[in-house]
Amino acid sequence: MTKLPWFRIVAGIVLAAVALALPYFNDPDINTVFAQVMYLAIAAMGLNLLTGFNGQISIGHGAFFGIGAFTSAILVVDHGWPIEATIPVAALISAGVGVVVGFPALRVKGLYLALITLGLAVLFPRVVEKFVEGPGGVPLLQPTRLQVSSTISSMADDIYRYYVVLLVMALLYFLAWNLLRSRAGRAMIAVRDQEVAASTVGVNVAGVKISTFALSAAYAGVAGSLSVLVDRAANAANPLLYFQRSIEFLIAVVIGGTATIAGPLLGSMLLVAIRRRTSDTEAMAPALLGGALIVVVYVLPDGIVGGYLRLKAYVLKRRAAPPAPPPSANDVPNPTPSTPSPT
Amino acid sequence: MGLFIDQFFNGIGTGVVYASVALALVIIYRTTGLLNFAQGEMALFSTFVTWWFTDQGLGIVPALLVSIVLSFIAGGLIERIIIRPVEGPTKNPLSVVIITLGMFLAINALAALIFIKPGQEALQMPLLFPSGDVPGIGIQKAIVGRAAVLAIECLLLWILLQKTKIGLSLRAVASNPESAKLVGINPGAMLMLGWALAAALGAVAGTLAASRGTGAFDTSLMQQVLVFSFAAAALGGFDSPLGAVVGGLIVGVADSLTIQYVGFLDGIELAVPFALILIVLLVRPNGLFGRNIVERV
Amino acid sequence: MHRTRTVRSLLLLLVLALVAAGCGRSEDTGGGGGNGGGNGGNGGNGNGDASGVVDPGDCPDNDTAGISDDNVITLASSFPQSGLTAAFAQISKGYKAYFDKVNDAGGVEIGGESYTIEVVDKDDEYDAAKTVQNINELVGTDGANAFAVFNVVGTANNVALREDLGSNCVPNVFAGTGSPVWGNPDYPWTIGSTLAPYTVESKAFADYLATENPTAKVAMLVQSDDFGKAYEEGFKNAIEGTDITIVEVQNYAPGTSEVASQMTALAASGADTFFNGSTLLACPTALEAAKSEGWEATTFVSGTCISKTLMGIAGQNADGVLATTNIKDPLNPAFADDPAMTEYRQTLTDFAADDVDPENGIVAYGYTQAALLVEILKTLDAPTRSGLVNAMYELEGLTAGLLLDGVTVNTSADDRFLAEDVQLIQYDADNAYFTNVGDVLDFEGTTTELTPPELIES
Repeated sequence: MTKLPWFRIVAGIVLAAVALALPYFNDPDINTVFAQVMYLAIAAMGLNLLTGFNGQISIGHGAFFGIGAFTSAILVVDHGWPIEATIPVAALISAGVGVVVGFPALRVKGLYLALITLGLAVLFPRVVEKFVEGPGGVPLLQPTRLQVSSTISSMADDIYRYYVVLLVMALLYFLAWNLLRSRAGRAMIAVRDQEVAASTVGVNVAGVKISTFALSAAYAGVAGSLSVLVDRAANAANPLLYFQRSIEFLIAVVIGGTATIAGPLLGSMLLVAIRRRTSDTEAMAPALLGGALIVVVYVLPDGIVGGYLRLKAYVLKRRAAPPAPPPSANDVPNPTPSTPSPT
Repeated sequence: MGLFIDQFFNGIGTGVVYASVALALVIIYRTTGLLNFAQGEMALFSTFVTWWFTDQGLGIVPALLVSIVLSFIAGGLIERIIIRPVEGPTKNPLSVVIITLGMFLAINALAALIFIKPGQEALQMPLLFPSGDVPGIGIQKAIVGRAAVLAIECLLLWILLQKTKIGLSLRAVASNPESAKLVGINPGAMLMLGWALAAALGAVAGTLAASRGTGAFDTSLMQQVLVFSFAAAALGGFDSPLGAVVGGLIVGVADSLTIQYVGFLDGIELAVPFALILIVLLVRPNGLFGRNIVERV
Repeated sequence: MHRTRTVRSLLLLLVLALVAAGCGRSEDTGGGGGNGGGNGGNGGNGNGDASGVVDPGDCPDNDTAGISDDNVITLASSFPQSGLTAAFAQISKGYKAYFDKVNDAGGVEIGGESYTIEVVDKDDEYDAAKTVQNINELVGTDGANAFAVFNVVGTANNVALREDLGSNCVPNVFAGTGSPVWGNPDYPWTIGSTLAPYTVESKAFADYLATENPTAKVAMLVQSDDFGKAYEEGFKNAIEGTDITIVEVQNYAPGTSEVASQMTALAASGADTFFNGSTLLACPTALEAAKSEGWEATTFVSGTCISKTLMGIAGQNADGVLATTNIKDPLNPAFADDPAMTEYRQTLTDFAADDVDPENGIVAYGYTQAALLVEILKTLDAPTRSGLVNAMYELEGLTAGLLLDGVTVNTSADDRFLAEDVQLIQYDADNAYFTNVGDVLDFEGTTTELTPPELIES
């Protein structure tokens, strides 16, 4: 490439500027919503690495999220750690549990794996309920305002939190992007597409699968840890919560565009937007949310990124001089992963 | 020993319900290759419909039969209208998962909106089976009754699948849709049939679950059941109806026995069925009765 | 390929972000009610520092926030209006009718001026995270959009709120559970309701057993969460030093009603007393299971189970079960001519929608909380938040609404629980109502002793 991609560089800078300036133009509660979107995006990216790029399906990532959240909460509330310091710990512990789950995942595939992970998400709040005592016996740990306040005296709490989450998200997304361009990333995708062939060319399939599990668990754990910073609570009172979280991550991945980089973030934004719009309708809310999800999947079966790519391809084809060349297989990179079917 | 037997049969009683839903899950999986997260809520809706008919004055058995027919039709329609556009070998399989999750949310909320009046904690349905024990055996009539219903379901299903032409077509489409088309079978119709059957099974399962004890139920009826039913289907093997039944019974009995005998798991008895499944899957990755699909490279 | 995709996608992000920002700007988080602006009194606490539990000096200057210029006091609430626990929404029917009645008659008179009361609420589906979000919206993150938070249901839900509301000095009154944690002196801005603390309930049962069956063997069914823990710990404490023993405790998961196996285990334990601490559908299911197991036992049910619907579902299986309450049961014919009951029914007829059932004890409960709040407001010299909270810690002999005769509300800086008097009641299944057993039991001031400190002080 001899030309510098000016357009992309400028676009990137503008975007970064917008992202950095955004919190100063909005109310604290909106900044909190942005922060929530972003930690959801981190968890979704973790799931995307596992499911989209490595083909292992999990509907239990809510449990890793919860593990991260409670790790941070316990360290902050019971041991007085500064919350920022707990983030790497949460990542490590979640990764550790991810490794433990990753081992049986070698043997148990597809749908069966999905169900074992479901068991995790359903069991987690019960286990917390049994072993974690919050006020009044409720499994709710709440750091004080002070414990999660801004460490930069000139910056308001909500803006500080926004930046912390933004920073972590940018870092983790960059990490994912780099990983996927690397040899390890190619190995992940190879395992997804053709496991047997991958092993014949020397890919350590077991190692790749377990590490991907651990990595994706770490992402979810970090997201959980950040949720304690943003929401100021680690809450297991609702037994369905972590199952709902798992589903949210999956929805964000799919409606954003499975196996893409921007997909998880876009999907998170769309999901939160839909949820907010429908939540005010009280009793109808879950019905509307369900309906909205169905519509989105119809309209954008490859997610937002997929829809955008198809739109772009369509526009480009229209602009091409007639007769249009027959579309070759390489025209539109198809982000759809090959079937993670139970085999 | 008596207590063990009591709890064992308690487990059979709940296990039958798990088995029924698992059966529905397996039917859909066998015919369409999909996991239907909304199975429980569809069964819930059917149960509300059964209740509604009893509220209009119908007896419980006629109400259940009407509900089965309506659910059958609805199941087929759901497949044709909602599922068909996003399923198939060229589509992202995760899309269907999202759709069924969307249905899960929507159907549960709709059922509450349509059938429950404000301030009512629960609805009450007449009992399918009289209370009390079967004389001589000491097992509750309800448990025997449920087991009998499950056995009849299995028998009917077996006859349908193995002894009728439609059953043959269904199995053909499940096994190889392309070849089935070549011999003149309409795969679309078979897909609809699969979902219709599953919905009908769900109606029975939901009514069985609700129509016991006090006959009272609310919108949480199927949520706990669903998790156990997934576990049961996985345990038995997703492509095996026999596995679904065996799996359901094992899960039910394991849960009851844990509640009775394992004190330190108080509150997290759910761990046992899942641990069980994990162990079984480690040894047999396709479930107890699942078939191993050989992957071609 | 990734690079191209990434950057183009980031462009999309830009567009979406700008759209979101735009929406964010235009969204108005202010509630309908008043803003801090106008107020009758001046900053100080017109009520003096009588109980002195809270000092407005420690607060941001907002003691009269939530009262509009035309004297409308705004209360904010968040409770389940959909989902499994939607029945709790009936509480609001009771209190809305009472407030409407008061407003219709000119409002509450505080310090010589009349104020009307408005309640704004949102559905939280019993989810604590939603409760926080709802209250943040209704009250505003600076706490200026509502005078006080009223009747939030759920222990976790109220616990999740207490820190923020406390630091903004926003009262959270009549928190709708019997958790003993409302007595925590570190959070004086959160106050419970007339629901008897769960530990008092346990003590009432223990005392009954001590006289009727001093060597009772008790089997307990409780939820595997804080609600169940409070019952279990409270009961264990209450029977210390007696010959009553707990032979078996079984848990069940909240939100489920499948308790057959637990009941088989309890029935086989050889107990002669059954403490049924379950709630919602699990409660009548457990009662039916007990009967079908052939288990003859003195049975206590949780105060959360005595509603008309749940007892109706249990039917004959609930005959003879004992419970506690401090509110008059609208179904009990003994209260048919009671003046408070007649007034209650009239209020509902005049001011509540037609589908509100006066016989529903939950509606009666909501009505009573509203009545108490109005009585307390009347005692203030000026409508200030700290005044309200301090007043709530120095109540003496107060009664209102449908509180049972003989039950009074007494509080002090050391006794932060509103109603600790309870009446033991017994269910008559043939007639479908509860009758009183004995006299009102006075546990005034005892909750703190009865409860293990970690349940209050955490």
